[in-house]
Amino acid sequence: MARAPQLEGRTWRYRPDASFWDEAVGPEGLARPHWQRFAESLEHMGTGEFDRRLQGARQIIRTNAITYNVYGDPHGSERLWPLDPVPLIISEEEWSFLETAISQRTRLLNAILNDCYGPQRLIEQHRLPPELVFANPSFLRPCHGVPVPRDIRLHFHAVDLARSADGRWWVIADRTQVPSGAGYALENRLVSVRSLPNIFNRHSVRPLNHFFSARRHGLLSLAPGNRRMVLLTPGPLNETYFEHSYLARAFGIPLVEGADLTVRDDHVYLKTLEGLDPVDMIFRRQDDAYCDPLELRGESLLGIPGLLRAVRAGNVAVANSLGSGLVETPGHKAFLPGLCQHLLGEELKMPSVATWWCGQPQERRYVLDHLRELVIKPTFPRYGHGPVLGSSLDRQALDELAAQIRMRPEQYVAQEVVALSTAPVWSDQQLAQQHVMLRAYCAWDGEGYTVMPGGLTRVSSSPQSAVVSMQEGATSKDTWVLGRMDDSAYPRMAFESDPAGEERPPVSPQLPSRVADNLFWLGRYTERVEWMVRVLRAAVPSLLGEEDFTHQIRLESVLRLLVGYGHMPEWILNAAVPKQLQQLETVLGSMIHDPAGISGLGWNLKQIRRVAWPIKERLSTDTWRVLQELGDGAAGSSASFVRHRPGAMLASLDQAISALAAFAGLLSDSTTRGHGWRFLEIGRRIERGLQITELLRHGLAGSVADESSMALVLQIADSTITYRSRHLTTLRVAPVLELLLADETNPRSAGFQLATLAELVARLPLDAQSAPHIEKALAAKTLGALRLVNMRSLGRPAALKVFLNGLRSDLYDLSEALTGRYLTHVMPSRLKSL
Amino acid sequence: MLSRITHKTRYTYEGPVSHCLTEARLTPRLLPGQKLLEWQLKVEPQPSAITSRQDYFGNDVSSFAVFDAHMELVITASGVVELRPPAETPHSPWTTSETRAYLASLAEPAALRASEFTWESPFVPWLAELEAYSAPTLAPERPVLEAAQALMTQVYRDFAYTPKATSIETPLSVVMEKRQGVCQDFAHVMIGALRAHGLAARYVSGYLHNDAGFEGAGASHAWVSVFAPGVGWVDYDPTNNVQPAQGHITLALGRDFGDVTPVKGITVGGGAHTLEVDVRVVPA
Repeated sequence: MARAPQLEGRTWRYRPDASFWDEAVGPEGLARPHWQRFAESLEHMGTGEFDRRLQGARQIIRTNAITYNVYGDPHGSERLWPLDPVPLIISEEEWSFLETAISQRTRLLNAILNDCYGPQRLIEQHRLPPELVFANPSFLRPCHGVPVPRDIRLHFHAVDLARSADGRWWVIADRTQVPSGAGYALENRLVSVRSLPNIFNRHSVRPLNHFFSARRHGLLSLAPGNRRMVLLTPGPLNETYFEHSYLARAFGIPLVEGADLTVRDDHVYLKTLEGLDPVDMIFRRQDDAYCDPLELRGESLLGIPGLLRAVRAGNVAVANSLGSGLVETPGHKAFLPGLCQHLLGEELKMPSVATWWCGQPQERRYVLDHLRELVIKPTFPRYGHGPVLGSSLDRQALDELAAQIRMRPEQYVAQEVVALSTAPVWSDQQLAQQHVMLRAYCAWDGEGYTVMPGGLTRVSSSPQSAVVSMQEGATSKDTWVLGRMDDSAYPRMAFESDPAGEERPPVSPQLPSRVADNLFWLGRYTERVEWMVRVLRAAVPSLLGEEDFTHQIRLESVLRLLVGYGHMPEWILNAAVPKQLQQLETVLGSMIHDPAGISGLGWNLKQIRRVAWPIKERLSTDTWRVLQELGDGAAGSSASFVRHRPGAMLASLDQAISALAAFAGLLSDSTTRGHGWRFLEIGRRIERGLQITELLRHGLAGSVADESSMALVLQIADSTITYRSRHLTTLRVAPVLELLLADETNPRSAGFQLATLAELVARLPLDAQSAPHIEKALAAKTLGALRLVNMRSLGRPAALKVFLNGLRSDLYDLSEALTGRYLTHVMPSRLKSL
Repeated sequence: MLSRITHKTRYTYEGPVSHCLTEARLTPRLLPGQKLLEWQLKVEPQPSAITSRQDYFGNDVSSFAVFDAHMELVITASGVVELRPPAETPHSPWTTSETRAYLASLAEPAALRASEFTWESPFVPWLAELEAYSAPTLAPERPVLEAAQALMTQVYRDFAYTPKATSIETPLSVVMEKRQGVCQDFAHVMIGALRAHGLAARYVSGYLHNDAGFEGAGASHAWVSVFAPGVGWVDYDPTNNVQPAQGHITLALGRDFGDVTPVKGITVGGGAHTLEVDVRVVPA
């Protein structure tokens, strides 16, 4: 760089309060050397362009559906991942210190775990107070003495780092159980590379992909057998479910829940359509205590009964090892310098924030004398007991806290309040100063511990706030660690390839039952949404009030149908027309807009997303994009939109139908005809069969069918043209039923669905031991019954209703039978004890 | 004295169970005054294997799995145990406050190991009312074993033995409030009251002689073990207000019921189930 950047540019205009350490700007107000290039680039780009890049970044986040779940949020718990476009930049020298300090800490915690779950010499030798182990609810006694490959109990460790006003880094907290956020850090990188390519390329930023392949390699290096790995998630409601499915995809391994795995003869197996498939490495995101409901505590039945037995037998490895949550306690921080010296023979390189554990008399006295200046935390984190800032308490509250500490001192630690450093964030088209905290990651790579060159930088939600939590509305930043790029050492973005050209272990060709389940429901939900849109599409014109002359559909038929579906109350049929229209508006509005109602579009679209996420890698990019657009379209419409511009609403429903058609087309074009595709198709066919049945039940079987209701039914079933081409203009019940029930050449008839189902079901795998193939018989029986029925005999509504009820229950039976054989994940139950 | 024990546990299911995994702590421990002359565990339907290991507390654990569909699971543990009564009633000059200080000092391996039983555990949480409940009885200057004996009598008097008043899920705070329960609750109350004052207390599961006329005979029983420096662990049965001597046969030891549950199991399928337990202890 020829010249120093302007201090007060138009865009790079940032004057932080100097009472904190600022990451970007030194005390003299100059950009720090490793930030100069960024400051210049920003200046060069200009405010308007940078702001546009921010929009671009948001679009990428939306398209990739990068989300996290917020607990207890009434407005649907899923939120888009917040990312600030200004990265946190860390210099090469500084990082090389952090790197060695973090990996040292990981080695140390691993050694402590090995001792506590083994000989417990540290306790015997008075180097670690026994309370921190014996009174620690995270010390899982059933895991004591359980062997662990190569003594690696801690595979993956996260450290929350903060920098104080003098520029020193401190460890605030350790995460040793199921550390989260590394996947988000990787997504942050992909977004910032794509939205700020030029600025990124002007820096030599160390890539993250090598770390992920090293981590994957490290996990597999500890697998005791055939190196089949799965990622165990608590499920879609977990805060970081996005990350679970993201990592599973990145590692090319199945994402499973406890019920997908089973333990037989001390081996763990994955349930697949073809049978049981052995697993010997479980990368878990499920908390320690919930991994084995048989041996570990847990009121819930999550997890895999018998897992610990398989671990004990050495047939499967779990990462992090079960019980690793033990060293998350802040209570041991004061003992780490001594333990480091003793266990590793090294000085502890990076200090923890000053921590006093009240279990020691002197420390307790200090804490009680300085309560006001300290942060008080429970020694053993438990739900609902967060850190308390002494300065925020009044006299009475302080006294109460002091009394509690005196009563059970071992349960409390106090920490010094660290004034977090600050960094620039992009806010209202300019840079603003906010506090940041860095979560860094360290993983076992097969030979030693490797630190991710980067991390998840979190920004506090307000300038005053020193508390940083994604749950409480913090945002995040990409973290750029500067350094030399060495292409030979760091493979390109495709980190799925292992280092040193190692072959990937074979991923099972068999389809996990959960994937089949997701595909089945993806088929059902997309079809259900399509019919919903078709019903809406047929109902909205009634709001326009002007009935065009080709349009034979009367308001009454529409209302009758919606009453039948249960969307409207019965009395509406006898109300005055203005009242009817008003009610119709409200109902259509909420069907489109209400995200909570299960008969609404929003809820069902969310279900599509839920079941599609874990199988994203099985869908093509285009398919996924169309799905995303569908969701965006629904989110963009509002209730008032329906009322004021029904015409525009029609256009957007038409768009939705096109998008759904594109989705179905892409799915069938880009999916190979394996069992996976079969389950998707089966789901669609069953749902379409049910939808036709429901449509006829509510549209024609409720009362004597008139022309208007027949026209409505034909329109929703997309069969108007076919009917007219065969029967001209007269609408009669028998030919309508013929077309929608029996005609196996009409892709929207019940007959077509059943014929297709019979073919699909016949080709599903069947293992020799299981029950006879009743699904096949059921499909054939239902099709046979339909083929035999005379449409004229169904002219009376009552007869039609009986027939349709039978058809519906046959379809449900078929769905049940298929689910029971291939997809069921029965929750286990616990035996009573006396 | 020889006792023949038969402990039968029967689970009857509403529907077929496709498989179950089970862990049993049904083998009496080897102790200074207790010998195991013969012992066997029978399971119907028969599992492919029954494996055995020692848990963290040194209890014998038998594990097995049944993968054949079944409507009923019967586990029968039976055998002969020889009990030799302790020579004399243990006596310790240590006071409760000295005992507490000894445990906290971690001066000897025995103190360190016993200190593990001074902390709260899943079934015996720390409760302020437990501390208050036992404060007068566990006065600092009182000899610890005398205090423990008095506490046993206090629990025996204050709580009503009421079968079915509580279940395993009843929290200790509710037991404290209702002042009634079964042997597990009596033991948990006494353990919690001891621990609230920094003393070490263990949960003991076992059997009583059918002919002893005690509450809890005919089922598995539970009592408390208290640590006294120089003496070690001394047992107290707050359900019957006795110091177990001849009639108590020890199965397993732990922090609370959760550590020594006689039979734990997870099933797939089966729907609702009923549990019947039949325990017979007779002279051999």
